[in-house]
Amino acid sequence: MSNKIMVVDDEKIVVDMAKMALEHDGYVVETFLSGESALARLKEETFDVVVTDFKMKGIDGMEVLRTVKEQYPKTKVIMITAFANLDTAIEALRGDVFDFFPKPVKIKELKASIERALEK
Amino acid sequence: MKIEHKILYSYFFNVAFIVLIGIFALQNMNQVLAKLRFVEISDDLNASFLEMRISEKNYLLYRDEKWIANIHENINDSMKAIEATKDDISRVIGENNLQLLRSYLDEYSKVIDEIDKSGGKDPRLETELRTVGGKLRDFFRNKTQLERQKVNDIISNAKSVLFISFLCILFLAVVLGRIVSKKIVVSLREIEGLALSIAEGNFRKIEDVTSKDELGSVILAINRMSEELEDRGEEIIQAKKLASLGVLTAGVAHELINPLNNISMITQNSLELYDYMSKEKRLALLNRVAEETKRMEEVVRNLLDFSKAREAKLREANINDIVRKSMQLMENTLELSNIELILKFERNLPRVRVDEHQIEQVMVNLIVNASQAMTPGGKLSIETKKGDEDKVYIYVKDTGQGIPPEYLPNIFDPFFSTKSSGTGLGLSVSYGIIKNHKGNIWVESTVGVGTTFTIELPAYGRTKEVKDEQ
Ligand SMILES: Nc1ncnc2c1ncn2[C@@H]1O[C@H](COP(=O)(O)OP(=O)(O)O)[C@@H](O)[C@H]1O
Ligand SMILES: [Mg+2]
Repeated sequence: MSNKIMVVDDEKIVVDMAKMALEHDGYVVETFLSGESALARLKEETFDVVVTDFKMKGIDGMEVLRTVKEQYPKTKVIMITAFANLDTAIEALRGDVFDFFPKPVKIKELKASIERALEK
Repeated sequence: MKIEHKILYSYFFNVAFIVLIGIFALQNMNQVLAKLRFVEISDDLNASFLEMRISEKNYLLYRDEKWIANIHENINDSMKAIEATKDDISRVIGENNLQLLRSYLDEYSKVIDEIDKSGGKDPRLETELRTVGGKLRDFFRNKTQLERQKVNDIISNAKSVLFISFLCILFLAVVLGRIVSKKIVVSLREIEGLALSIAEGNFRKIEDVTSKDELGSVILAINRMSEELEDRGEEIIQAKKLASLGVLTAGVAHELINPLNNISMITQNSLELYDYMSKEKRLALLNRVAEETKRMEEVVRNLLDFSKAREAKLREANINDIVRKSMQLMENTLELSNIELILKFERNLPRVRVDEHQIEQVMVNLIVNASQAMTPGGKLSIETKKGDEDKVYIYVKDTGQGIPPEYLPNIFDPFFSTKSSGTGLGLSVSYGIIKNHKGNIWVESTVGVGTTFTIELPAYGRTKEVKDEQ
């Protein structure tokens, strides 16, 4: 059984690139362009890892993190932010984020992090 | 003198004045009361004297001893009455007159006694009796009349004094109040003007501070502040520049990091998975990289414009020409976006002194925003108009989605954008340019109906135009 990964970002090219890289490694990847659509999908399907952008219109990454941790505690969340400023980092860590990446994202590091998330 | 003291003194002055008038009125009242009391007593005494005189006449007519007894009784009564009220009486007519009254009564009583002793046979005594009786009668008549007259005088006197005092107090209250408040208002106006001009960055001072009151010290304090501000103006401007540089760098970084991230991800994937990509995919990704570079370029260019906004090259121009030129730049874009264009130019527009390129840039920014707000298409109307008071207006009106009220305070802020690939610099650059031209720009918007941006620019060389017409 292959692991299911969800990628959320409001820029299509970002989720496309992430999907391309992760699918190449054999993951099953679904992408969403908003926090709203991502949370709706989570109601139907269980994902092992959620990779989400921090800053989005409407439901943002922080809210996605909170909802996931509340309702699907086994799912790991990896957050991507434009800038890892201290406040957002602390906030995310409090919300039990698994990992935290600033932009521009190094895809190799992201993959390594996902692997670690799945080991646990 | 301090305003506080002025108000206090005039207040005390008025109160003292009112107290004095009160005392005066009270005294008058006491006098009147005493006099009335005297008149009352003297009326009683008078009555008793009248009786005495009647008894006297009756005795002279009928020579009956019983009248003499009657007279004695009356004299005694009167004496008693006088002794009982002697204070009241002497207060009004004085001790001397009281003695006089007593002596008259004594004399009268003696004469009666003598007549009684002589058995009424001495006509000389009768004449004396009449004389003394007459004196008594006259005394009372005169004194009573005099005091009545005095009461009348006091009352009418008091009336006019009170009336005049009333006028005085009224006058004082009105005039003092006026003077004080006028002085305060005038000084406050001056201070307001000073504060306003300082707020506009003109560190003016009020030179002749004549008043030594609180307002004077306020003016002195503001003057000091103005000096301080002027001295530290450079520092403040530097600090402001640094602060906006901070905002700017943070904003720019945010604007640049997303396209940078996109390019980075595309490149990483391309390098890693080149062999697994179709030719079309590679082309599409390269195109995307080109697009993202353009986006970054735009941010940087806007930023440069933003920093250049200060050095305007002002030249006399006609707003209609500038608007027409910027329309030429935009026509194609608008046509492609299915936007109907409505132009209304006012003729005989006063000329303006502006940097043409900068105003064109503002127009382009507004038109781009308008077209972006009307994605399926709509109407864009651009109008120029002459306002009163040497102003020229440009209206840019669209039938787009409108701006939600909660965003209105922010749309002119640098990097405020609701667009996924917006820079958020267009309006802030435009705002800076228009402010630099001593103009104004503002927005009215209704969600779902449309948005109107209004630019107000000061007219230039209006006097020349007037001359031409003469
Ligand atoms: N004509 C308009 N209609 C609706 N919204 C507008 C209009 N003009 C500006 N805005 C709003 O103001 C924001 C800031 O505009 P601007 O400074 O030009 O930045 P950008 O266009 O890059 O977003 C826009 O993102 C948009 O939300
Ligand atoms: Mg814009």
